[in-house]
Amino acid sequence: MAKKSKKNAGDNINAKLQLVMKSGKYQFGRKSCLKALRTGKGKLVVVSSNCPPIQRSVIEYYAMLSKCGVHDYHGDNNDLGTACGKLFRISCLIITDVGDSDIIKTNE
Amino acid sequence: MGKFMKPEKVVLVLGGCYSGCKAVIVKNTDDGTSDGTYSHALVAGIDRYPRKVTVAMGKKKTAKRSKIKSFVKIYNYNHLMPTRYSMDIPLEKTVINKDVFRDPAHKHRAQREAKVKFEERYNTGKKKWSFQKLWF
Repeated sequence: MAKKSKKNAGDNINAKLQLVMKSGKYQFGRKSCLKALRTGKGKLVVVSSNCPPIQRSVIEYYAMLSKCGVHDYHGDNNDLGTACGKLFRISCLIITDVGDSDIIKTNE
Repeated sequence: MGKFMKPEKVVLVLGGCYSGCKAVIVKNTDDGTSDGTYSHALVAGIDRYPRKVTVAMGKKKTAKRSKIKSFVKIYNYNHLMPTRYSMDIPLEKTVINKDVFRDPAHKHRAQREAKVKFEERYNTGKKKWSFQKLWF
């Protein structure tokens, strides 16, 4: 039962990510994430499960300071890349403009 | 959803000869200038922290051990680590500003001003974390 609900939640976030890729603005990568967080433009940070711990801590701290949400993606960077429809790995991504998606509301 | 690189924020310096030192943002430039098209901040920091002082020490010894050596520098945001702490220290903007770096005399004056203000704040006993050496 628990597994099923997890799968549902996973599908939800994937669908929402796809919508953001289509209609919103986003940045990939640690450098861009931190830059966006510093300027206060970040709305949600999505971090993969195998993101290096120091990198993850830094991003979470910056997000705490800028009051931005952090979503821990339940897959590794390969899965996150696939979820975003890209052919490369993504460890951390930041959504700066949500577009049509309601990804932030569901995260809260 | 908020900018946090603002004046009075305590930051850690990550690179250069002052790496590991705590500093306070005096002025931040988010969009860069013609000199440097990157976001940077003018910080005033503590180069040499005051030494540990105990109750058993006399006044003279305490005074000697409470000295602070300061620095004033411009850093790229990438080389600063912001913290959740802030220190509202009344640093004179006329003395500590970007033009200070062209003239060594001005720079020394700015460092002197920072030193005096830091020591003042340290002696009140508030904001202790900012005056403690970061152990790493």
